[in-house]
Amino acid sequence: MKPTNVFDPNYFHKVVDCQWACPAHTPVPEYIRLIAQQRYTEAYMLNWDSNVFPGILGRTCDRPCEPACRRVRTEEKPVAICRLKRVAADHKGDITPYLPRVPTRKNGKRVALLGAGPASLAVARDLLPLGYEVHVFDKDPGAGGMMRTQIPAFRLPIEVLEEEVDLIMDMGVQGHFNYTIDSMRDMLDQGFDAYFIGTGAPRGRDLPNLPGRVESGAHISIGIDWLSSVAFGHTTSISGKVIVMGGGNTAMDCCRTSMRLGAEEVTVVVRSGFDVMKASEWEKEDTIGEGIPIVNNRPPIKFVHENGKLKGVLFQCIEQVADENGRLESVPTGEPDVFMEADHVLMAIGQENHCPWIERDIGIEFDQWDCPILNEETLQSTNPKVFFGGDSAFGPENIIWASAHAHRAAISMHLFCQGEDLLSARPPEGVNLISQKMGMHEWAYDSAHDPAQRFIVPKADQKVALSNIKVEVELGFDEELGLKEAQRCLNCDVQTVFTENLCIECDACVDICPMDCITFTDNGEESDLRGRLTAPASNLEQDLYVSDELKTGRVMVKDEDVCVHCGLCAERCPTNAWDMQKSIFHIPQLGSSST
Amino acid sequence: MSFISKPVVHHPQLGHNDLGLTRRDYEGPISTLCAGCGHDSVSAAIVQACAELSIPPHRFAKVSGIGCSSKTPSYFLGNSHGLNSVHGRMPSVTTGANLANRSLHCIGISGDGDTASIGLGQFAHIVRRRVNMLYIVDNNGTYGLTKGQFSATNDKGSTNKKGLPNLHEPIDLVSMALQIGATFVARSFSGDKRQLVPLIRAGLLHEGFAFIDVVSPCVAFNNHAGSTKSYEYVRGHRDDVVMADFVPTHEEITADYAPGEREDVLMPDGSTLRLRKLEETYDPRDRTKALNYVHDKTLQGEVVTGLLYIDPDASDCHAMLNTVAEPLNSLGEAELCPGSEALDAINASFR
Amino acid sequence: MSAQVSYNDFVIKFANVNGSGSASANGMFAKALFRMGIPVATRNIFPSNIQGLPTWFEVRVSERGYLGRREGVDVMVAMNAETYEEDVASVVPGGYLFYDNSKPLARELVRNDIVEVGIPISEMLLPEFQDPKQRQLFKNITYLGALSALLNLDFDVLKSMIGEQYKGKDALIKPNIHALEIGRNYAMEYLDCPLRVQVRPSDAVGDRIMINGNSAAALGCIYGGATVCAWYPITPSTSLVEAFERYANQLRLDENGRRKFAVVQAEDELAAIGMVIGAAWNGARSFTATSGPGLSLMSEFLGLAYFAEIPAVLFDVQRAGPSTGMPTRTQQSDLLSAAYASHGDTKQVLLIPATPKECFEFAAAALDLADRLQTPVIVLSDLELGMDDSLSEPFVWDDERRYDRGKVYTAEDLDELESYGRYRDIDGDGIGYRTYPGTHPTKGSFFTRGTSRDENAKYTESPDAYIANMRRLERKWQTAAGLVPVPEISRSEPARAYGIIYYGTTEHPMREALDRLAEDGIHLDTMRIRAFPFSQAVFEFVTEHELVFVVEQNRDGQMETLLVSEGRLDSAQLIGVRYFGGLSISADIIAREIRDYFVENKLARISEVTS
Repeated sequence: MKPTNVFDPNYFHKVVDCQWACPAHTPVPEYIRLIAQQRYTEAYMLNWDSNVFPGILGRTCDRPCEPACRRVRTEEKPVAICRLKRVAADHKGDITPYLPRVPTRKNGKRVALLGAGPASLAVARDLLPLGYEVHVFDKDPGAGGMMRTQIPAFRLPIEVLEEEVDLIMDMGVQGHFNYTIDSMRDMLDQGFDAYFIGTGAPRGRDLPNLPGRVESGAHISIGIDWLSSVAFGHTTSISGKVIVMGGGNTAMDCCRTSMRLGAEEVTVVVRSGFDVMKASEWEKEDTIGEGIPIVNNRPPIKFVHENGKLKGVLFQCIEQVADENGRLESVPTGEPDVFMEADHVLMAIGQENHCPWIERDIGIEFDQWDCPILNEETLQSTNPKVFFGGDSAFGPENIIWASAHAHRAAISMHLFCQGEDLLSARPPEGVNLISQKMGMHEWAYDSAHDPAQRFIVPKADQKVALSNIKVEVELGFDEELGLKEAQRCLNCDVQTVFTENLCIECDACVDICPMDCITFTDNGEESDLRGRLTAPASNLEQDLYVSDELKTGRVMVKDEDVCVHCGLCAERCPTNAWDMQKSIFHIPQLGSSST
Repeated sequence: MSFISKPVVHHPQLGHNDLGLTRRDYEGPISTLCAGCGHDSVSAAIVQACAELSIPPHRFAKVSGIGCSSKTPSYFLGNSHGLNSVHGRMPSVTTGANLANRSLHCIGISGDGDTASIGLGQFAHIVRRRVNMLYIVDNNGTYGLTKGQFSATNDKGSTNKKGLPNLHEPIDLVSMALQIGATFVARSFSGDKRQLVPLIRAGLLHEGFAFIDVVSPCVAFNNHAGSTKSYEYVRGHRDDVVMADFVPTHEEITADYAPGEREDVLMPDGSTLRLRKLEETYDPRDRTKALNYVHDKTLQGEVVTGLLYIDPDASDCHAMLNTVAEPLNSLGEAELCPGSEALDAINASFR
Repeated sequence: MSAQVSYNDFVIKFANVNGSGSASANGMFAKALFRMGIPVATRNIFPSNIQGLPTWFEVRVSERGYLGRREGVDVMVAMNAETYEEDVASVVPGGYLFYDNSKPLARELVRNDIVEVGIPISEMLLPEFQDPKQRQLFKNITYLGALSALLNLDFDVLKSMIGEQYKGKDALIKPNIHALEIGRNYAMEYLDCPLRVQVRPSDAVGDRIMINGNSAAALGCIYGGATVCAWYPITPSTSLVEAFERYANQLRLDENGRRKFAVVQAEDELAAIGMVIGAAWNGARSFTATSGPGLSLMSEFLGLAYFAEIPAVLFDVQRAGPSTGMPTRTQQSDLLSAAYASHGDTKQVLLIPATPKECFEFAAAALDLADRLQTPVIVLSDLELGMDDSLSEPFVWDDERRYDRGKVYTAEDLDELESYGRYRDIDGDGIGYRTYPGTHPTKGSFFTRGTSRDENAKYTESPDAYIANMRRLERKWQTAAGLVPVPEISRSEPARAYGIIYYGTTEHPMREALDRLAEDGIHLDTMRIRAFPFSQAVFEFVTEHELVFVVEQNRDGQMETLLVSEGRLDSAQLIGVRYFGGLSISADIIAREIRDYFVENKLARISEVTS
């Protein structure tokens, strides 16, 4: 293999699996270290820079970072990254001195952000400090979008939502609420310099053709609409037996909300098997923990009603069988269909982005799945003025993706407004490597591996929680638990950097490495090398770090897969050929606190 | 040395031996030797070899003398008892330990100061006595703990850190062992576990006295240009004569060398020691030729490594002493005390 | 010496040349007396040489049972021309000089106050045996035959001993008996037999046996369960190990003839004690035997065993020092170097036997104590006790007795423990719990070292941990003081003004000396110290007396030093009575020195005794 170029920003970035997995590339280890040092405000701002809504995300994020956490690969549970984010938010001090300054004198460019959800708000935050005049349009009476309408208060208290939403609004966003957008042409006519469409995926999927759907329509609700109605106080109760159809997080929110609004009995019925449900593990756990049964492998056949009065739903019994390609297929089991009583059905079987208000003749082209055709890098649509982000862009995702899109779109909009090329003028990614060696065996980070198991987040008393939709279920880590959990972080951003010409090939690093990551061997092709290492490197998603040829003609090969960054290789290295260096990635972004 | 301890966490695919244990179960607390010390590599090789042999990690007795090398038994086989004795006397203590309980595997660790100077006498005599043990010398040619004086194995002309040459002839422990009648003699290099680990395994299974002289560079005082015990020098001047590949009892022996190149030696426990000759004319069963070969190569500045000599029919001191099979330390009053009746007869014999 | 006939009370001394085969003849002489029921003690005064230098064999014959040395020789068997002069001089007036008159005695050696008994041994043997070497050997048997007539020995006993001696080599029996008869017949025919000094059968021996301390100690090791013995030959300890191996080969074989013991002759004393320590660390009872020079060599290892707390049993059969000193002469001069063997604050447990029986008992006790205290135990014997045959009470073994292996955790114990720390003082006696190597897969292993460590055996240089450890060893020392053999004290009630302390082989002449002193009106309370550390009783004995004599066989008063320093005693209270010439201290010396002290210092004698 060719020697690894550690100055390629992406090489070490991939080693920081959590950050790499985070759509917004939040520098997770860095903020966890700040938490460990009880520097909560700085930890919060580091988050705020990247993902804009640390308090909200600390409660609601889909956490793509956690399955990526290296701890998982050492046969443990991941660091509770998401909940640590909340620790930063809960314990932060006054952040005002850290906030970007918004110039009173504007730059003369006006941008319109359609929808006031997370994507638009993040774009607003990025552009405001550069002097843009930012207008937000939304059908709802307040900003927040799905964060406000689809996430129940027991998961995200309204104060937390409003604090972070208002922070941006107060930077000088001009809000146009209760504003029904029904024509993109009209919006374009308003002559903004650029447009950002962040209206999300507001249409819940329905089963219009299922027998009985129309007749019993009064007792059937679309999950997200129902949640929104609860959020705005239009719906305050639900009675009788409730069936929630669907296996995603919305379904989980629907059933748990139903419980709190007075349902006599709530059951979740899912078409697919339990393991393949879309809902996050922890959402499923919480649901089950609140005593709500989840019934799997039951696709609905029909709604059973008597004269429009819903009686229940008839379900087919299926099972998941792997076909010859190993793909799971639903096959009827032959058992008799199951009838389940219901007074109300909440359908949470998916969402679609839906922009019927965008005329199809104004230069914004859509593909066969009715998604806008976008440049993935710039998020620019076929109408150069119009940019997309969040769920409007590529279909339903989550808040953290919205933030990520927003940063990219904001750069594009800025370049567009300044008349620069959206691709070639984009600021580059970069990496800085800074040695962490402070003494003979002292490092600037807590290098010792903490074998502690993941700490459990305390919860509110269930009785109290189930009786009031506003009582937040999770209490979050207190300071002590937060500090302990923070110590579980492996500091994957502190990289093992190898300098060939210093190495005397004494094997000290090989011997000390607890994870058997390091091998000195003859060079070869990657597939060959992977099999010849001290421990076989079977995780192909993880790179091999290969040195230049050493004096003996061999190379150093390090499997980045399970390195716990304990620094012992560097500590035992007599010549400092190994060093622990913190990698700081420069991911281009506007309007962060550091600009 | 390191400040933090080696984490317990290990590679998820770390292999298990026949006892269901991983190599990590054979480790000890973290070393306090200098970073890069060859001795730590020897310890790591011991750990690996013991794990591969599937001997329970508490069934070893580790004994050492004094010096850097002699500290190492506390850094491997943490579940085994160790005894860090006095300078140069590891052989006698190990002899006693082996006499007391022949069922434990004795590993003696010594250094070139410990063995080739103060302990030269005990070294010679434990060879003669054929104590069933593995005797490893971590040989770095220098006194590390006292900061870099020449040791007795330092080659004549090899320089110290200040550039001053050693004026004295070296003591070659391998030649000595061969001469006095050791039945398993090897030399290896701390920087080559592929060679060292099988040698350790074979040495542990050898019935009788097994000696491995391991050139183990001292990074602090003897790893400079001019030293003949540096990583670079040894790598550049190695002459590997016989690779020993160890094949455990239950593994099928597959012929992966051309006939004539290899030779299988049956070990006492039924396992096989496969010898692969890298030097065609070399015969590891011919003591005299081995001695001559080592001598000639040494004159040429070469470091001969590998399994230099083996007598597969060797026996140990328990056989010579004709002791019972049970460990002596397991015998109780019933087996040991002749009783009052016998004593009356003894009294009578003194009248 | 009166002209009256005396029975069973004399000192006979054989002067021979080393390597001439006299030892077995002389031994037979003593044994014959013993078999006649007469108490005897032998003293072999031999040179550090294999062949050709003077050697003496002294036999104390005492109906009263005095086994110690007495000055003066009643019958001198002068068989070494080289030492005629001093041999003749050592005969008491009226005593006998027995010599080979094949060649006349030089005129200057003639004494008028002694009786010359000349026998032409060589002359008689010249025609009998052609081989000069044989002739030399039979010369010894011939004088033995003559003595049997002169001293009135039971000739049948002698003859039967020849039979025992050469059992299995029957060809040798006849010529030996013949030689015996040549001497006997000559004496009967030409000399006045028996002499005024003679023997007669007695029952004073009782059921006692005649044995030397080294054999006794070897048997003690057999009975005490020692399985490993490592040693390096050194006079006068060699015969201890040889006896152990001999007995073990008789008593410790399994049904297939395999040995339940191991004896290894090491390359030197360092290796010997190293092996002992290695074996003991690994759970076997092990011991070595040596003498002063060996003790010096072993000191470093003894320090390790003390500090690392490894049992070890060492027999120091003392000889005359310093340095190589007089390797074949006796002394009690290793006391201090044994007590404080090794550098640093080291103290070693000592057991000091006085008789073969105690050698047997203390050997077994030492193995128990070493295990119990997890420290070396040194049995301080001496050349006289170790090598010379002497009367001894027969040995006794209680079949119910179990070995005290001390505090050792088994695998089952460890399973039940939450955590294990090698040097934790759980019981407050300063002794931790050991584990044998290989006991448990995951618990109880530790690293034994001579460097400082904490109570979990983890290396540390912490002053607090170091001090705590040293203090614990001090507590252990106190525990030891309560476990070692107590002193043997004989005192009147209330205590007399004066006492006398002695130890080891001084026991033998002490009874005789005390009897003689009593005849002079000097009565002393006595204490025989049998171990170190000293119990409180030892110090109390000193403090409750105005003056205490301390009798020892060294120049510097090592026991006195030890008493003063360990007990913080007033040194003015202690009066040394010392002899260190390499022979064992005699009753004469003890009695004379004490009497002189009384006279010089005008000390009051007990009034009821006539002076």
